[in-house]
Amino acid sequence: MATTTVIIVDERPPPPQDLLDAMESVDATVTRRTITQLREGPVTGLPSADVLMASARCEPAVVRDVVLRLQGRHGAPVVVVYAVRDFEGLEGHVRFGHDYLVPPFLPALVRARLHGCSERAELGRRVREVEAHDEYIRNERELEIGREIQAGFLPEQLPVPAGWEIDVLFRPALQVSGDFYDVFELAHRRRLALVVADVCDKGVGSALFMALIRSLLRHTAENSGLQHLVATPHAPDAERSGPPVVGATPLLNAVTATNRYLTRNHLRQGYFATMFFSVLDPATGRLVYINGGHNPPLLLDADGGEPTPLEVTGPAVGVLPDTAYALGYAQLNPGDTLFVYTDGVPEARCPDGRFLGDDRMLELVSGPASRGRDVLARVDSAVREFTGDGEQHDDVTMLTLHRPSSVRRAPVTTAVA
Amino acid sequence: MPLSVSLSVDGDISVIELIGELDAHTAPEFHESIEKAAAHGTAIVEIRMHEVAYMASAGLRSLVFAQQKVVDGVTIRVVGASEPVSRTIRTAGLDRSIVLADE
Repeated sequence: MATTTVIIVDERPPPPQDLLDAMESVDATVTRRTITQLREGPVTGLPSADVLMASARCEPAVVRDVVLRLQGRHGAPVVVVYAVRDFEGLEGHVRFGHDYLVPPFLPALVRARLHGCSERAELGRRVREVEAHDEYIRNERELEIGREIQAGFLPEQLPVPAGWEIDVLFRPALQVSGDFYDVFELAHRRRLALVVADVCDKGVGSALFMALIRSLLRHTAENSGLQHLVATPHAPDAERSGPPVVGATPLLNAVTATNRYLTRNHLRQGYFATMFFSVLDPATGRLVYINGGHNPPLLLDADGGEPTPLEVTGPAVGVLPDTAYALGYAQLNPGDTLFVYTDGVPEARCPDGRFLGDDRMLELVSGPASRGRDVLARVDSAVREFTGDGEQHDDVTMLTLHRPSSVRRAPVTTAVA
Repeated sequence: MPLSVSLSVDGDISVIELIGELDAHTAPEFHESIEKAAAHGTAIVEIRMHEVAYMASAGLRSLVFAQQKVVDGVTIRVVGASEPVSRTIRTAGLDRSIVLADE
């Protein structure tokens, strides 16, 4: 049998010597503490014990307070009070559920009492372990529910226009994630919206904001009426501004309205998202986009030229009130691939702490553009290999938009005003 | 990798010195020092990042959080950020509201 650990309350008059002797003879480990030390001393200094032993003269409520403190630290000990003469003091303690010892303090009697107490203490510890485990399981289940609900905020199926290929790889680091992607049709299916976004930080907070931001973006974009579908691009940089483009208005509305909503209502919480939101004209391959503080997506050219980064056109969404977002333009010709990703890719870490890095990622996607799914597979296997057995630190999201070259290039139509 | 955070007040500047990595695990500690710095009410909150090798998006969130904690008119200055860290700040557009300085 393991030795019983005992805290004995050391007040005046001191604990009777024959009781102390009896405990010593049965090999109990005894720690002496005053009531003040136990009630007011630092929590970190509280010893752990199976039994708290005190004189019946101690107030039962005071002893209970000590038990509660010890419980918070190590688990509750079983209380044993002793009386040498004033046996009526025992009554109040018994009402509190405390055990007791009375003279003579013979070693065999003390041993039997301590043994019973340490078994009760052990049982209590087991019960707490089971409860803690139960709570863990419950939390896991709640997180799993969170994950399932969040999955409902990702598109079930991607609407892929004829003559195009869209592939996505989405691997959250935790059960719930701050990354998301979305693909949906606009302007009576004449345009396709593609979004990849990363809500800052991670965990449940990011996941809640993911649900909000995704909904705001999509709802606003889908409800920007057709009469407003043509925007006059707002671009400080004249090079960038192009002709009015169908789909640019839902894009601008979605991003500015989401930014306004977040900065008006949630600035204090400090959550924001970096995002790449683009609208494709599937007939022409023309792309209009807003890059709100996101890692620049790479346009991979069919001939293997240097990838073109689609640089930021405004700050992250949800940071600065009243921000104007500029539009960016790109053209996907047959054979081209657009590679959009979140920072989980270049910031993938190997177990010794090094990062995959932008240069390595650029190397992986460079060369003649292949189909999007090949690009994803290449980057993904490099990320996995690099991470090795290490923990995945951040969500990884990648989306490719590929225009196969075998498809005849559709005739360029003029944007309908 | 852990983060060490120290806070000192020098005249009208609260100086938060960060050493290590600023990510989701370590950001809460940085938040605490931001709250304390904001409570000092100095005109400038300077965040020294010479020794910050890596800043994740949680660190960006800390900077946004810092802006919310200080009263209007208080300057938040990030000093000595390495190239990758300052690029992270600039890409997200936080350099529009936070001063990035070399020294």
